Amino acid sequence: MSFFSAIGWILWKDLLSELRSRENFSSMLFFALAVILIFSFSFSTDQEAVKAVIAGVIWVAFGFTAIIGLGKSFAVELQNDCLEALQINPIPKGAIYLGKLLANLIFIFSVELLLLPLFVIFFNLDVLEKFPILLVIMIGGTLGLSALGTLFSALTVQIRAREVMLPILLLPMAVPVFIGAVEATRGLLGGEPFSLYRPWIDLLLVFDVIFIVVSFWVIDFVLDD
Amino acid sequence: MPSIAIHADALSKSYQHFQVLRDLSFELEAGACYALFGPNGAGKTTLLKILATVHRPSGGRLNIMGRDAVADRAAVRSQLFLIAHGSYLYDELNAVENLRFALGLRGLSPSNRDIKLALDRVGVGAFADLKSRYFSAGMKKRLAIAKALLVRPPLLLMDEAYASLDEKGVALVNQVIREVTRSGTAVFMTTHDRARVADVAQRAGVLRQGALQELPLTALTGSHELF
Repeated sequence: MSFFSAIGWILWKDLLSELRSRENFSSMLFFALAVILIFSFSFSTDQEAVKAVIAGVIWVAFGFTAIIGLGKSFAVELQNDCLEALQINPIPKGAIYLGKLLANLIFIFSVELLLLPLFVIFFNLDVLEKFPILLVIMIGGTLGLSALGTLFSALTVQIRAREVMLPILLLPMAVPVFIGAVEATRGLLGGEPFSLYRPWIDLLLVFDVIFIVVSFWVIDFVLDD
Repeated sequence: MPSIAIHADALSKSYQHFQVLRDLSFELEAGACYALFGPNGAGKTTLLKILATVHRPSGGRLNIMGRDAVADRAAVRSQLFLIAHGSYLYDELNAVENLRFALGLRGLSPSNRDIKLALDRVGVGAFADLKSRYFSAGMKKRLAIAKALLVRPPLLLMDEAYASLDEKGVALVNQVIREVTRSGTAVFMTTHDRARVADVAQRAGVLRQGALQELPLTALTGSHELF
């Protein structure tokens, strides 16, 4: 069994299931819309305040939206004991992790792409010229959240209070991702020179690599009995 | 293929202080079918899940197809297939997609014709494009049997093999067991239905308070209580 083929099968299954049910996608989208609306009303009259906090607002919306999606990543496998079937399949558990990670990255990033125009409209942002770099920051931040969230989703899937435990575990561990993403976004949207906020993007990418490598290494212990 | 499919030696399993299985020792030859009986809560499913490498035994040794089922789980897993209580089906995928996914993870890519033949064989060919969320428990069981037919594992494990199935389904299970054992597959199954399994089992045992007692095949056709 090819390792990459197993990743492909997991990714195919997760994408197809989600495309048909849209369960995860719609709950993430509606939650994010509510967050954007609330923040937009809070800062509607004060453009200076918007400039000061918009990077944080964006990543609060992205982060909590991601948690909703990540929580269901392994929980869907509980239906019909599919998790057990995955556990006893003769495939490396790392392939399950990477397949799920890619699926989560695609789901969360798709929602973020849909939200971005709303941020532009509601908060009067000018991102057209900065869009390529903003995409890099979004992918870097989302990858870090997905890497950690996929691991913790697997870790908490068998416990009763998994909806509570996932954010409790994920949010403190994801602090470096949030700091890197918020600082890089703030620098970009604030019009700072690239060299000033580039270290934050580098930090983000370094943490992405660390989280993926560590998660890949420990997933065998998490998923196997 | 090794001549002994399962070799269990002093196998035990405890959950905290509760001992479910104690000192189970038995062998199952390739090409044989073993029917396991026992009252509810006797540990039949626990034993089956240990054999399937879902759970680790608390003590003893277990070899499946000549390999250590605790130390060499990955290799053992490629040798067995479990038809469990849970259907292992994804609700949003149809029958064909569920089969393709399960087989794909085992590195198998059967042709459309093979899949169609397997689905027709188990009687769900007409529902090939239907999402499995609309399948009845019996249809899900039939789909699991179709998977087993396509996988053709050296060891087939079946939990409550006849549960949820109608008369034709029961006949199908027995037909499949006869067919796969003829080709060398060992079958280990739990059931409460001794009359039905009497047609296919070469060995039988009963689990009582965690201990395994071998039964003569004549016990399967008698009417006295097994436990």
